[in-house]
Amino acid sequence: MAGGIGLVLSIAKDALAAQQYGIYVSGHNISNVNTEGYSKQSAVHEAKRPAPFGGVILGRGVDTTQVTRASDQIIENRVFSETSDLHSYESMANYMIALEAMFNENSDTSVSNLIGDFWNRWQDIANNPSGTAERIALYEHSKLLTDGLNTLDTDLEQMKTDLTKAIEAGVERINEITTEIGNLNNEIAGLEIDASANDLRDQRNVLCAELAEYVDMKIFEQSNGSFSITSARGVVLVDGKDGYDLQLDGSAVEWIGSGGNEVDITNEITKGKLGGFLEMRDEVVDQYKANLTELASEFIWAVNEQHSVGVGLNSLSSATGSYRVSDTGEELGTADSGLTYYEEISDGNIELVVYDSAGAVSNTATIAIDADPGGTTLTALQTALDGVANISASITADNALRIDGDGAHTFAFSGDSSGVLAALGVNTFFTGSTAGSMDVNDTFASDKDFIAAAQIDTATGEFATGDNTNALAIAELQYNSRTISEWSYNRDPSIGNTEGSVTGTIEEYYHSLVGALGIKASSVERSVSFSKTMLHELKTMRESISSVSLDEEMTQLMQYQHAYAAAAKLLSTSDEMLQTLLAAK
Amino acid sequence: MRVSNKMIFDTAQQNLFNLTEELNRANQVVAAQKKILRLSDDPVGLTQVLSMRSGLSHVAQMERNIGLGKNWLAASESAQTQIQNLISDTKALCVQMSSGNVGTANRRSAAAIVENNLKEIVALANSQLEGRYIFSGTNTETEAFTIDGNNDVTYNGNNTPFTIKVGRDASLEIGRDGEAVFQPSGAGAGDDLFVVMKNLIDSLQGNDIGGIQTAMTDLDTCFEHISGEIADVGSKMIRVETKETILSDMDISTRERLSLIEEPEITEAIMELKAKEVAYQAALAATSKVLQLSIVNYM
Repeated sequence: MAGGIGLVLSIAKDALAAQQYGIYVSGHNISNVNTEGYSKQSAVHEAKRPAPFGGVILGRGVDTTQVTRASDQIIENRVFSETSDLHSYESMANYMIALEAMFNENSDTSVSNLIGDFWNRWQDIANNPSGTAERIALYEHSKLLTDGLNTLDTDLEQMKTDLTKAIEAGVERINEITTEIGNLNNEIAGLEIDASANDLRDQRNVLCAELAEYVDMKIFEQSNGSFSITSARGVVLVDGKDGYDLQLDGSAVEWIGSGGNEVDITNEITKGKLGGFLEMRDEVVDQYKANLTELASEFIWAVNEQHSVGVGLNSLSSATGSYRVSDTGEELGTADSGLTYYEEISDGNIELVVYDSAGAVSNTATIAIDADPGGTTLTALQTALDGVANISASITADNALRIDGDGAHTFAFSGDSSGVLAALGVNTFFTGSTAGSMDVNDTFASDKDFIAAAQIDTATGEFATGDNTNALAIAELQYNSRTISEWSYNRDPSIGNTEGSVTGTIEEYYHSLVGALGIKASSVERSVSFSKTMLHELKTMRESISSVSLDEEMTQLMQYQHAYAAAAKLLSTSDEMLQTLLAAK
Repeated sequence: MRVSNKMIFDTAQQNLFNLTEELNRANQVVAAQKKILRLSDDPVGLTQVLSMRSGLSHVAQMERNIGLGKNWLAASESAQTQIQNLISDTKALCVQMSSGNVGTANRRSAAAIVENNLKEIVALANSQLEGRYIFSGTNTETEAFTIDGNNDVTYNGNNTPFTIKVGRDASLEIGRDGEAVFQPSGAGAGDDLFVVMKNLIDSLQGNDIGGIQTAMTDLDTCFEHISGEIADVGSKMIRVETKETILSDMDISTRERLSLIEEPEITEAIMELKAKEVAYQAALAATSKVLQLSIVNYM
């Protein structure tokens, strides 16, 4: 019989312990109500194995078999993948805002206003070709325009540098995270021989969530409970206790294998902050930089081509080209010459007029240019020019063409159907060939008289200072439809960067560039808000399963409290029973 | 669905974030009076705005050009009208002097008057605007006509009229080739105003009635020609004035379209702001109420 009461006592003891476990777990839950990534735990109570006693099978009370964790790894994984998406869009959106500010069109100094005003300044010169004020205004304005484009180009380059720095910081953080995940994998695998390592798993999920912020990744759970994580179309970031490092090599992201082998995965990272930064840097910013340069290049060429056949208030006593060739013996019309604008050169003639010291026409010359292979080289052109009476031509030390009038002789160009003058940068308005290098010809800094508003009367070889033909022709360029290359950049190597073209005026091209930027920015913004909603939904699903409800915990607490009181009562009851028994004599 | 505390807080937070974002935007629209605050707000609208703005800047330039053109045309018209008056004065004098009753002394003094008239005409043909000769072709820096002691007049300009742009496809000759105006058939021809005047002076001085009569007919031809020139200037003036009206209409309509795309309707924008404000206040009130609820309050 005593064994019977002993059983009651033992049941009471287990019951007290079990309810206490319950209160521990509830307490743990309540304390972690605000812990990021925490999953609600619950104590699992199970009736003990019954035992036959006195012909019946009696239950033997309660046992706390395990503490489980409310978690669904599938949903967690979906949260990770959506996190990667959101962070790639968000990181892009942040830089997009900066990019939009660079192309700010709401100010008077926006590039499109500057381009429009550039043509207007030429109109002003056309209205008053001999006026000094108009020439100064054009010069200063053109400086503003080239500065504007230079600044845009520098800012874009700076943004790329900033992005690379951000990528570097991301790579460092990824390496820390993967190492920590490896350590946790190791601990979890060790602990889980006995029971589920709930809190460590939660911690690991928090780290995985942070990793997902940086890169797109896939998680595979091994049978021992450790995670294998792959990223960037297949490279392994974590395998068991081992984390594999990434590194930044210049601007490329590389994965370092166990043997120390380096694999370039720059174009394989698609999502996460890193994916966003890379897309921003290698697709968006690079593309705008390339297109801005196409615009600048076309703009420079259009103005130079027209300017080179004009004449200023005075004819030239000397002219040096601003574009250099790499080889004076190569044909100017071919890539081998190293001339930036070699493609623009065609077969044609340079028409030259030489004036004497009194400004009267002394002689004229026509020099034929053959643009094809086997055609005119810089040396040949220099020789031909040198052969013209009263002028001499030379090639400078840095391979540019230089023409000088002999004695007091001066010269000017009345025509150039070949484009060679503009391609060599002789008597041109702009120098440089990209948005970054574009500048106004230095000549005008000291002498605005050389701004070529007039054209030479081909019949007489003379020109009038009040002539505005060339200024009108340059102003007319604003209406000219041109075919300008337009790049579309894609990091996916199977697509790559493709060159298309648009036909329109220079201003229209710039407007479409800005418009495209706006469209890109708004599409990124839409993706952010869509992805945010998705992530919120998924997180809600996750929280619904995993996170702590205080109301629930409070009820549980009461439940356990009552059960604890009852178990204590059981203990005192069995005590009384024993007392009664002992008192019976 | 099981609702945890974190869900309640997260959702409340997210909703408040969204609302503050919307409120902020509505506020910016009202404050800046602009619907397109960033490129991404309306990329298509923005591209239209850009081309409209460049259109406006072009219109403004053309209006400036037209202003200049009108000045030149007015100066040219005034000079030519005065020259025309001088021609008719001279002609009236000729009528008097061609009569047989007039004596040599009278003709001599008439010759002096005509010589003065000639000098006056040359001075008018050398009219300048902002320091530029309007009858010199594009040689605007050079005095159009010079007269020597023998009353021989030489043209120093060229034959290219000074032209400006008054529209995308419209050019306007505002400066004139002086030769074409005063010596339409070339220097020394019968309708060369200066030669006619010089011959008249010579005839008056030489008492050559025949010569005076020839000069009268020649002056008529010159008068006709200048009248034609004045009419031409007048029609150009009408043309640029029409152009100006078109441009200012274009300016207004472009500005209207621009404001439609760019500027918010103020009442609409303020209503929007108010609506967002109310929504925000409601959300704040509701959130603070919901967040206070807990079973602990009842235990």
